[in-house]
Amino acid sequence: MVELKNVSVTYSSGVDALNNVSLKINDGDFAFVVGSSGAGKSTMIKLLLKEIDATSGVVTVNGYNLSKLKKRKIPEFRRTLGFVFQDFRLIPSMTVYENIAFVLRVIDAPIKYIRKRVPYVISLVGLQAKSSSYPDELSGGEKQRVAIARALVNDPQLIIADEPTGNIDPELSYEIVELLKGINDQGTTILMVTHEHDLVRHFGGRIINITDGEIVFDEVIVGTNDEVMGGVEV
Amino acid sequence: MKISSVKYLANQGVENIWKNKMMAFATFCVLLISLMLVGISALFYININSMIDGIGDKNEIAVFINKETSAERVSAIGDEIGALENVDKIEYVSKDQALDSMIATMPEYEVLFESLNGDNPLVDGYSITVNNLEEISDTVEQIKQIDDVYLVRASYDFVEFLTELRRIVTLIAVAIIIALAIVSMIMISNTTKASVFARREEIQIMKYVGATNGFIRTPFFVEGMVTGLFAGLGAFLVTWLGYRAVFQAIASQQGVMNVIGAGSIIPFGDIRIYVFICYVLAGSFIGALGSVISTRKHINV
Repeated sequence: MVELKNVSVTYSSGVDALNNVSLKINDGDFAFVVGSSGAGKSTMIKLLLKEIDATSGVVTVNGYNLSKLKKRKIPEFRRTLGFVFQDFRLIPSMTVYENIAFVLRVIDAPIKYIRKRVPYVISLVGLQAKSSSYPDELSGGEKQRVAIARALVNDPQLIIADEPTGNIDPELSYEIVELLKGINDQGTTILMVTHEHDLVRHFGGRIINITDGEIVFDEVIVGTNDEVMGGVEV
Repeated sequence: MKISSVKYLANQGVENIWKNKMMAFATFCVLLISLMLVGISALFYININSMIDGIGDKNEIAVFINKETSAERVSAIGDEIGALENVDKIEYVSKDQALDSMIATMPEYEVLFESLNGDNPLVDGYSITVNNLEEISDTVEQIKQIDDVYLVRASYDFVEFLTELRRIVTLIAVAIIIALAIVSMIMISNTTKASVFARREEIQIMKYVGATNGFIRTPFFVEGMVTGLFAGLGAFLVTWLGYRAVFQAIASQQGVMNVIGAGSIIPFGDIRIYVFICYVLAGSFIGALGSVISTRKHINV
């Protein structure tokens, strides 16, 4: 579960990135976060990853109160999350298998479990044939599938996907969101940040629009809807 | 952390050397050169010191004993001098030995010596070398206090020259070694920083998936340590070959050897094990430390 209560973030430069934002995403939800560049989406993700702290308000993720979370507890907290980056962020010197297994190494998982779990998640994203390939040998869509498998491998309660379709062909974007939807159907909460109108309209669901550091729209919309969310251009 | 994880991380560190071979090679070269610069300076210094010691050993105190002194008393004086703390070696020189030596070293005065007609005007005495040249004047004073000692002769000017020479050499050597060590640390720091910077994204990914700082640093630590170890071994080999070549070149020059004292240059065999340990330990330590310090900046994500 993700909960923001009256959260504001003001950077040292004086810029108000988030302004008194309150938001609750329940377990098992799938939510799109939309908004133009500089609206506050990235700041929100940084908050949820405990990369930055809120200037005021309370941020709770997966039962961790991030405002009070000690530095040495951050690794433990991050292990309850899966994260998908726009630019994939795969380790180039590791194969697909190693990139995914690496996450389980971090949490000290038993070798037997790693050997069983990693091929399973690779099969979930349909990349069995690429298991021994290096990131450089994969297409953009395949790289993002590896990133999703990596986010999924430690069975997180929440996956945060930051513009996961931003660096791949439009036709492959639908596949990636389908994949995330499939994961969500298994009970994992998904928070996907995007600025692609078409995707959001196509899939529908809960849509949160951030503009100038404030939530201006937060509603569930049925898919293939042509309405512009809350009358606000995304 | 489980033993299997430690093994995994250590393996990762070793594998990373191969995977990042260009940066690892750059770190290796910088470390090797740095270690050698400092190591060779240190070896040069200890040899200069050894040469000064060698020259110092040739500086003897001559003790002359009153003419009428009995043989037992001469022997007792020898024991008294030998018991002094700063006395390293003591050698009895009878008046006959002294005369023979004089005749041998001054053949041009042969006529003069023949005119003695078998008389020996010289006295019995001792030739002494000291442990610490700086304390030679105290030792001379102590010997002068002994009964039946007629005269004590030592070359103070030469001692002062050697003491001053050692002071200057020490000062210059320490300054050079410190300067080179600082330059080396800067070079190593920049190289490891560049190596870590090239992999900052890797570190960030590790942080995002919940890796602890220890988990992230261990492979870098192993990588730096192994690279440093090889740099230490390389520096040792190059120094060994270089030292041997220089030693042989100097040893073949008899004139030079006479000036500096044949035994003054330390054969590499005598110090090989110390040089090896110093290089390998310093290389591993600096390599590991450099890597770990350089990761700090990128670890706070």
